[in-house]
Amino acid sequence: MTRLQSVRADDQLGESASAPPGEIDVSPLLGTWWATDKTTESVVKMELADRAGSFVVHAFGACAPAPCDWGERPAVPYAATVDSRDAMAFSAVYDFGFMETLLAAYSKGGILVLDTFNTFKDGSGRANYFTREFFHR
Amino acid sequence: MPIVPSLRLTRARDVARDAAARSGAPAVDPAPLVGTWVSFDAATRGIVRVVVASRGGRLAVRAFGAASPAPHDWGEVPGDAFAGSVDTAAAVGFTARYRFGFVDTLLAAYLNRRLLVVDSYNAFGDGSGRSSYFSRDHFHQPAESASRA
Repeated sequence: MTRLQSVRADDQLGESASAPPGEIDVSPLLGTWWATDKTTESVVKMELADRAGSFVVHAFGACAPAPCDWGERPAVPYAATVDSRDAMAFSAVYDFGFMETLLAAYSKGGILVLDTFNTFKDGSGRANYFTREFFHR
Repeated sequence: MPIVPSLRLTRARDVARDAAARSGAPAVDPAPLVGTWVSFDAATRGIVRVVVASRGGRLAVRAFGAASPAPHDWGEVPGDAFAGSVDTAAAVGFTARYRFGFVDTLLAAYLNRRLLVVDSYNAFGDGSGRSSYFSRDHFHQPAESASRA
């Protein structure tokens, strides 16, 4: 087995494994994910879709009287290991101009766990902040 | 507390509920994150140790990957600290990005009580066929490091 460049043991393929062919299969993540907390003040819904081979996220924030539509953004899928092809996590970035939001999410037991890291760029004095939420389909 | 109107928002959590939040006061205080964090899993194949420091008010992150015979020193990179809300100051999470050339690693971490949870999002760009992958490690602060921080 050829030893590949790595920065930790997890970067290496297993002793008998080789990288399976093809891209990461995003189908395990596709669909509409709803916040388990119906009173959330953060993200209320996410739609994950495959647009002709491009993986995208469409998120909606908690706003009144209707959710704030964040629009659709490209997302990066991740598998659980270097030799798996099933997507179980993703990341994406929304740049709203006055603020940038990093979405970092992973699935576990049928639940999608979403962390957001929010950086203000508008000089409003608001602190950059972190949120963590749970979603179901 | 009064809700501060007129700021742009993407969700209710973006709304400052304290007028002091508009004074520029709540820069995020990285102190709760500072110190040496050691993986609970002594046999981890991921990250074995993370050293978080504050350099002139800016977060600096130095991670070490599991490797033999010694951990792989990833070097120090700038990080960004995040509070629990728009009008609090104490850091509860951070992000940092390593660009190793063959792989980009995003660290997305948060405090859970006295534990640090570090999620890493690893995207290969070397044509090796390896899948980009997610991993998660849990860390604690040895007593000596915690007292220094």
